[in-house]
Formats: sequence, structure tokens, C-alpha cells
Amino acid sequence: MYIYLPIAEQPIHSLAILGVGTFLGLIMGLVGVGGGFLLTPIMMFLGIPPPVAVASVANQLVAPSVSGVLSHWKRGNVDFKMGTVLLLGGVVGSSIGVVIFNFLGKIGQLDLVIKSSYVVFLTLIGSLMLSESLNLILRKRKGKVSRGKLHQHNWLHGLPFKTRFRKSKLYISVLLPIFIGIIVGILAALMGIGGGFIIVPAMIYLLGMPTSLVVGTSLFQIIFVAANTTILQASQNQTVDIVLASILLLGSVVGVQVGSRFTNILKGEYLRLILSTLIILVSLKLLTDLITIPSDIFSVIISR
Amino acid sequence: MKFLTSLHILVLAFIISHDVKAQNQIVADLSQENVKITTNFLGAKILLFGAYDGQKGDDIIVVVTGPKGLVTVQKKEKVFGIWVNTKSVNYINTPKYLNISSNRDINKILNQKTQKISEIGLNNLKIRLQPGKKVQKEKEWREALTRNMLKSKLWRLNENSVSLNKNALFRSYLNLPSNVITGQFEVKILHYRKSKLISKELSTINVSKSGVSAEIYNIAQNYSTLYGIFAVILAVLVGWGTNLIFRKV
Repeated sequence: MYIYLPIAEQPIHSLAILGVGTFLGLIMGLVGVGGGFLLTPIMMFLGIPPPVAVASVANQLVAPSVSGVLSHWKRGNVDFKMGTVLLLGGVVGSSIGVVIFNFLGKIGQLDLVIKSSYVVFLTLIGSLMLSESLNLILRKRKGKVSRGKLHQHNWLHGLPFKTRFRKSKLYISVLLPIFIGIIVGILAALMGIGGGFIIVPAMIYLLGMPTSLVVGTSLFQIIFVAANTTILQASQNQTVDIVLASILLLGSVVGVQVGSRFTNILKGEYLRLILSTLIILVSLKLLTDLITIPSDIFSVIISR
Repeated sequence: MKFLTSLHILVLAFIISHDVKAQNQIVADLSQENVKITTNFLGAKILLFGAYDGQKGDDIIVVVTGPKGLVTVQKKEKVFGIWVNTKSVNYINTPKYLNISSNRDINKILNQKTQKISEIGLNNLKIRLQPGKKVQKEKEWREALTRNMLKSKLWRLNENSVSLNKNALFRSYLNLPSNVITGQFEVKILHYRKSKLISKELSTINVSKSGVSAEIYNIAQNYSTLYGIFAVILAVLVGWGTNLIFRKV
């Protein structure tokens, strides 16, 4: 059944969108990350204009994040203090991101920046994930699973404005999570992602948070960053397609719930292996689009 | 539906053929004058039909022009291995929809000069560059504009698509793609005899957004912040709701 998207101004097959939403929700539920950074490129492959894809995916991300936080909260896996500090940075960052987004649109380079940021980040994340999961699989085969240090101290811990985060058992400078929040916020607004795949490693490796708290806390801050991005994209650029977002989020919330029920059945490292392969494929497809000679080096933009 | 329209034409032809013959004019009608873009819009196919006072060898050309405005042509160049939009040229007064149909090759109906004067043909449109900008190799850009508009199906050239019957009736189909721009579309039906314009008929088609899709678009444009807040609230409610449902399952 085709449905006409009022903001993207084109018809699209609603079941295809619902299917994509559910599939990405499943991945989110199974792995904990991976909603936005696969969803936005897939939307672009389906012919949704990149600005609309980015803004609408930000909107849909709110739903699975709310749903996810609620279940993590019940299990006591959210550090609200840390989350609040992160989201303050995130709100500032996403506001900056939307301004940059608007500017890039005006000079006609938005598509290029969105696509090339995706190539860089997807390649980076994909290959890191791939090597990590392969390593783990190999080590498990050999029967050795070693654990690293809980966290390491470096110069980052010498910054001023030290604050205690009881839940995470940390005593660190607030500047660090704020800074991480800002960077993730900018990327979230530009790329239509929640930023989980950046913030989760940042929380583990830079902040030294306990892994059990990482996913819940990152989802908590994603809600606010995605909400802020949605409102700003809507008011500044009018690029949020509520019909597209609604179909996507209906699929994804169900997918997340189903996915999270199967996490114990499927092995995490194999899942990450599949996911990282998928990420690398998407990134390669985007890269080919950027480097192959276009069928026509001229294109037209019809102002509405 | 199809049967009805054919019948429609026949009846119409009977009734008006006398008048048409007497006054040397064209009488035309459209199967649809108002095109509504609703949530299930996939494009529209409009039948254009009517009667004319013809002789053997007469020709009919139909020109449908959509709203005019700014169209930007961009050119990509390779920068550090990546294809980047580096240059752009703005064309003003450009039809965002154009359909030229005729009963045979336009070059056989009119010579180049007449085509130019009467603005018939894709290269004879009065499209202007944005004033104050100089462009090198303008021809290349203009060709790119035509090529891309044809590719997007917003411009169409359908020679041999107007069917004529007994030198009295004509019919032609008009395709509006799903990405069509809203506004007033001008329909011009031109009747030629030995390359001379005998009569013409004008009509309009209105393309507008309608229903839920139009409402959403208007709200997104006029109350954009509220729209954004609403979009977020909706997502929060759905997220919260599924959590409630799945907790019980």
C-alpha cells in the first residue's frame, strides 16, 4: 500500500517502511545500538531526500529510546545524574548541529556532508565492531576470556569541576561528559542518529562507566537529544515528516521489544559480527555513490 | 470509467459538431480539472478530448504548462576523488511542469522559425538566467536543464500522442507524476492547418494538496515549532505505550 509523504512530497510503500522500521528495531533490541545510523542511509537508498531522512529518523528515535529507558530504569540501569550532564551537552550540541545543517543546505552541500560523514563513521564503527567481535569469537574458541581493567586513569581525569557520580562510582570532571554530549549532539543533528554508537564507547573508554549502566544512560540522553533535534529541525528547516516517522517508529518499537527478548538466545559476538558486516556494506554503498562518475554530472533542484 | 468517457466523447461530438463547424473553433474538456494530492496520490492520468473543425491534414498540438519559478542546475566535479557540487546556475521563469503533445512530429507541423516564435518545443521556452549572473558555455547548462527535467518526468515531449478521428475529434492523455508541483496548470490546444494557427482553446487544471496530507504540510509550514513538539510527544507516547503493552505480555 503506497502512502504519500506530505513533507518528503512523494509516495512510498508503507509496508516497506514498516518492515525497515521493525528490522532496525530488532537490531536495536538485540545489540543495544544501531537504530539511526543504519536507518538514515536506508531511507536515503529508498529515495527519501537526505534532509527529510535525517530529521524524520531523529523524530522516530524518540520512541524506542523512551521504551528502552523505561525497561532499563526498572532494572536500575540508568545513571540519571550522568545522563543529565550528558544531555545538557547534547542539547547544546544538537542545536549547533541544526544551525550547521541549515547553513549546509543553503550552500547546497548538505547531501555531500551527510553522506560523507556516514562513510567515515560507518566504516570506523563497522571495522572496530568487526575486529572486536572476531577477536572475541577467536578467543572464546581458544577458551581464554580475559577481562581488562575496570577503568584507567589518564589526563582526562585531571580536568577541573570534579563531581561525584555515585551510581557510576566515578569522581570526574563534569567538563568531560558535557564535551562528549556536545560532540554527539552535533553529529546526531547532522546525521539523524541517536549517537549511541559513539556515546556508548565514549562512556566505557573515556568516562570509565560500568558497562551495565551504559546502554540505559545513553538511551536516556538520546531521548532529549533526539527530541531537541526534532523540534529544531521542524522549526528551522521544516524537514520532519511525521507520517514517515510514525510508520518507522511503530515498526521499531515492536522490533525493539521482540529483539530484547531474544538477546539471551543469540550470542552477542555473532550478532555484532552480522551487524558490523551490514554496516560496512552500507558504508561501501554510500562510498561508491560518492566516488563513481555520476550518470549525469548535472542535476536540478526545483524550488517549491 | 473508460466506457463512460468514450461515451462522453461520442455524445459531446454529436452535440457540438455543428457549432464547431459553424464557428471554426475548438471545444475541449478534461476528465479531471482538479487534481487533489491526497495520502494515496500516485500521480494522475488526465484525458483531454474534444472536437475541432478540421480538414484532412490538419494538426493539433497540446501544450500544458505548470507553475513557473526558480530551477537551479548544479554541476558536479571531482574534488579529492569525490564528486561534489561545485557550480550552479539559476533559471527563473522555468515551468516546473511541461507537456507537449502532438499528432505527429512537430518538425513536420511547423518549421523551426514558427516553433521559436510560438514558443513550442523544449528549446524554445522563454527561460531566463537569473539577472546579473554571467555563465560560460550557457548552452551546456540549458541542455542539462532540459535533460534532467525530462528524466524527472516533469517535462514531457509526446509527439504522435494526440489521436485524431475523422478530422473532427481529438484525444490525448496527460500524465502528472507523483512528484508534481501544486498550482495552476495552463492547457493550450492549438489547431494548425498547413502550419497556420486556425484556432486555439485554453483551459486550466488545478493541482492542490488535499485532505490529511495537505493539513500536515500546512501545519508543518505555518506552526513549525508546535508541529515539532507534537511529533516528539507522539513518539514519547508510542514508546511509553509499547512498554506498557509488552510489560504485560
